[in-house]
Amino acid sequence: MTHLSRLVAVLALVLVLGPAAGAQPRDTLTIALVSHAPTLDPHMHFERVGVLVNINMFDSLLHRNAKLEYEPSLATSWKALNDTTWELKLRKNVKFHNGDPLTAEDVKFSFERVLEPGKTAKKSPQYGNIRAIKDVRIVDGDTIHLVTDKPFPLLLERLVFFPIVPRKHVEKVGDDAFGTTAPVGTGPWKFVEWKRDQHIRLEAFDGHWRGKAPFKHLVIRAVPEVATQIAELKTGGIDLMRNVSADIMPELKANPQTYITTSPILRVHQVELDMRTAPFDKKLVRQAANYAVDKQAIIQKLMGGLGTQVATVVQPQAFGFDPEVKPYPYDPKRAKELLAQAGYPNGVEVTIHSASLEFRPQFEAILQMLTEVGIKANARMWDPGPAWNKFFQTEGKATHGTYFNWGNYSVFDADAVLHPLFHTEPGSWIGKWYARVEGLDKLIDDARSSVDQPKRKRTYSQIQKLIREEAPAIFLYTQNDTLGVSRRIEYTARGDEWLWLFDAKPRR
Amino acid sequence: MTGFLVRRLVRLAVVIIGVSLVTFAILHASGDPVSLIMPEAPEADRAVLRQALGLHDPLLVQFGRFVGRALTGDFGRSFFHRAPAFALVMERMPTTLLLTLLAMGLALLVALPVGIYGAVRRGRAIDQVATGTVFLGQSMPVFWTGIMLILLFSVQWRVLPVSGWESWAAVVLPTLTLGAFTAPLLLRIVRSSMLDVIGLDYVRTARAKGLSESLVICRHALKNAALPLVTVTGLQFGLLLGGAVLTETVFAIPGVGRLIVGAIRQLDFPVVQAGVFMLAMVVVSVNFAVDVLYVYLNPRIRLR
Repeated sequence: MTHLSRLVAVLALVLVLGPAAGAQPRDTLTIALVSHAPTLDPHMHFERVGVLVNINMFDSLLHRNAKLEYEPSLATSWKALNDTTWELKLRKNVKFHNGDPLTAEDVKFSFERVLEPGKTAKKSPQYGNIRAIKDVRIVDGDTIHLVTDKPFPLLLERLVFFPIVPRKHVEKVGDDAFGTTAPVGTGPWKFVEWKRDQHIRLEAFDGHWRGKAPFKHLVIRAVPEVATQIAELKTGGIDLMRNVSADIMPELKANPQTYITTSPILRVHQVELDMRTAPFDKKLVRQAANYAVDKQAIIQKLMGGLGTQVATVVQPQAFGFDPEVKPYPYDPKRAKELLAQAGYPNGVEVTIHSASLEFRPQFEAILQMLTEVGIKANARMWDPGPAWNKFFQTEGKATHGTYFNWGNYSVFDADAVLHPLFHTEPGSWIGKWYARVEGLDKLIDDARSSVDQPKRKRTYSQIQKLIREEAPAIFLYTQNDTLGVSRRIEYTARGDEWLWLFDAKPRR
Repeated sequence: MTGFLVRRLVRLAVVIIGVSLVTFAILHASGDPVSLIMPEAPEADRAVLRQALGLHDPLLVQFGRFVGRALTGDFGRSFFHRAPAFALVMERMPTTLLLTLLAMGLALLVALPVGIYGAVRRGRAIDQVATGTVFLGQSMPVFWTGIMLILLFSVQWRVLPVSGWESWAAVVLPTLTLGAFTAPLLLRIVRSSMLDVIGLDYVRTARAKGLSESLVICRHALKNAALPLVTVTGLQFGLLLGGAVLTETVFAIPGVGRLIVGAIRQLDFPVVQAGVFMLAMVVVSVNFAVDVLYVYLNPRIRLR
């Protein structure tokens, strides 16, 4: 038994010597993300968790404030000279973290780093975002022209996340070091240390043009397990966590150390229907499916009331949204009639897929509602890994439908949801497999190649009426972004899912 | 002895190559990483990248190239992290090994005394409590144990950090979690193999010579009872590395397991291959050590 008592003694010693859990210094803000992006280089990844870190270290030409309006950032003004040329004035006296001044050369370099003119294989996964930009011209020290190959209405949206990096520094240290040990931007916090899968440490940059950051230290921890994040939040180990689901909201509301803050976001849910195969090749069946689902019940019972029913997939916050197009009401009787008219009086059997693990209850509720009107829906739940990606995204085999959600990559424009979901060209996301709506491709193309906003708006109205009628998906709801926050700090969730921590404030 | 070592080493190499081949085949059957690297790019751009990464060659050619490079320690560069795959794995290896060794050490520290005591004082209260705990311990999945320990020690009592790997205090809960996962089996093995030898003639002889009970148990009985324990400890080591994946996730520990799981999701071939290769190396080496230890412990099997 001596071994055992020695073990107990050692453990007791560790307990006594070990620092108490939680308790951070006042000037430190710690947030948890489920993972770190593979690089800190803001141009060389395509991940939300990376963007959330990058925006606090790098500035873009434009900024979007908490009310989701454009604000000057590194560009102080911008205007369209004609359909394909934009003129931007650069802010003066902006310094990078290493002391170098921001110049027009840095802006040009940043774009060309992603565009890589003349090369066929582009190394940046963000190339598609700005591929419309054909030329970046330096007019004088603080004026640049962006020239697009055709009218490109999304340009300003894209400039909100297009970080500007210092040319000299990047060329000196090289791409690899820039993304791991030596990232340098103009943002409120500068780089200190990155331990992969552990933490990223940043420190307030004294020379930042907006002024002093509200916290001297910003730590971004990688904590993959939600239950662990909650425990950290309750004990003060972290100050902020994302994606608080409906079932844990009451717990964080009730806890004296924490609160939740929530905002409607672009993320829209739907069951995209496979129009290539029976029974969803028939319009009446697709409409029946839309009548069959009680969207309000799902929002109230499964999402804590935090969600908005939508008529199609275009979110109320997105440019082009038409409030005149009304959602399908919940009408199971009508659904049964339509199903009978379509030639399925005795019902029909389908399989619906999903890889959205965190929305499994919603998925199952929807399938149950479909089954009740006669569309006997079998659930096929996938682990969101390579097998699913191959089956669904690479080969398009997931008939008869897929439940998923789409966040527009935070682009507040109808194009950012319509093209990936319903355009049939190979570059679209799921439309290429599922959508077969006559005339829709052309309408989407028309709207994306014009900068005449009133005209685009009319085209999007037309599109929303068309898809509401053709029902290429079961249209559902948009969700909220809900953050769990420590009472040490004050922060409000944003409509674009960004964590712009310059707006966070310490509480007394 | 030399022949024995050479035979075992050859077997080790065969296992490693086999593991690499299987990993390679499964990975390449599971999808196209290029579509994940360039989600928005047209097919022509993807083809160029596929060419650059060497993914367009026949599988056998790719495997040959992989083995050739792996022999020189070069597993290629990660598709996503802008770093060599081998370096990424080696950066995390010490963490995973430390966690695994600590858990194994803790498990042995509990299993040996309690198991021996249980065998010697069979049926007594402590033995029964231990047997009950074994049953309970084996039924609890690692992630559940981990979260329960967090709730108890970190949220309720606030004596240990919830997660991380920054201080020795942070190491305690993961070690307990993983140790609790493997201790029950070891405890059972210790107890049953002690029971086997304790009734044998030579133990009775030792006692008859007038040796003290502790000497009889620790010197004579334990050495023979240790054989199955050594085998199972070696085998458990592989299982522990598997359990470490879950433990690393629950406690946000930057280990190899978490790296590999992330890499599998992204189809980051070089990282998965380097990671599995290194873990296989560890398991095979441990088993090799067990084989050698066996020979030392049991001279009767030396010639086989």
